[in-house]
Amino acid sequence: MTPLEVALIAFVLVTALATALFRDVLSAIIVFGAYSLGMAIIYTVLLAPDVAMTEAAISAGVTTILLLLTIAKTVRPSTDALFESVNVPAVLTVGAFALVFGAAVLPAIPAIGAESAPVWSNPEVTQYYLENTYAETGVQNTVAAVLAAYRGFDTFGEAVVVFGAAVAVLLVLDREVFA
Amino acid sequence: MSAGDSYTESQVIMSTVKIVTPFVLTYGLFITFHGADAPGGGFQGGAVIGVVVLMLAFAFGIEPTREWLDNRVVTGLIAGGVLAFGAIGLASMLLGGAFLQYELLPIHHPSRYGIEGIEILGIAAIVSGTVIGLFFATAAGFTADAFAPSDERIETQRDDRPRTGRTEGEE
Repeated sequence: MTPLEVALIAFVLVTALATALFRDVLSAIIVFGAYSLGMAIIYTVLLAPDVAMTEAAISAGVTTILLLLTIAKTVRPSTDALFESVNVPAVLTVGAFALVFGAAVLPAIPAIGAESAPVWSNPEVTQYYLENTYAETGVQNTVAAVLAAYRGFDTFGEAVVVFGAAVAVLLVLDREVFA
Repeated sequence: MSAGDSYTESQVIMSTVKIVTPFVLTYGLFITFHGADAPGGGFQGGAVIGVVVLMLAFAFGIEPTREWLDNRVVTGLIAGGVLAFGAIGLASMLLGGAFLQYELLPIHHPSRYGIEGIEILGIAAIVSGTVIGLFFATAAGFTADAFAPSDERIETQRDDRPRTGRTEGEE
């Protein structure tokens, strides 16, 4: 790992922990936005710019604004305590999960860029898209081609899910108009 | 309707948003329209375009922005996006192929512009409309008077039959 990656992972862990521990909701939302930004930079470093853009726009941007809007409309409990009081059984349970994940799952995941990774060990799948996308669809971004052409029907389903989410919010809030 | 209560006019935020907004909008349009050949696409670009309206509402107040923005625009983006996506998919079926079988479309570079079509007219429209719509719906919240009639009905029925009235009142 490069120093940049180490720093980013440390930053993400600290902000995630701070999000969980801060007593004040506004502080928690702000560090959560910082966490999302850190994740977006990690995705960029791992050469996944499409995911990074989504993380930055949706998670760091829209989600932060919607959460800020929510606390603006609700009561923000005033408190002197900086941190949430720690719930010991919850910490033990989450700690056990983290231990199992770190000890059993993490070592089984292939290293980034390793030749044993499924993405490289099945070249007939991955390489097919990398080699044939431009010839078959006329676009250079393989992610966009898989999204809109090879798996276009799935994407139509996802688009309808987003549409359904908008309709569901109107139903829950008992409104007939957005704006 | 009380979202305007939390609004404070800030010269710093207004000036920043005035300067930044054109660039954010341009960047959102670039991600959307250039998504086929570069990282990005309709989803990311649509989200960035939607955020432009959120920034304006943050700087200049939610209620003025709500009045400026017609509900038909938001609804049209969300519903029109689904319709455009579906229409492009069904067009190739009408021409005797499968759903979204672009090469049957009677246009120049059908696959290329078919993908651009669903990314721009479909996904970007749906996502930007939904981001804007979620923001204004959350800002409006639900008001007590919108729920008052049904609340009263539940209350009355619960008085009549204390154990089961609530469930029936909600039906």
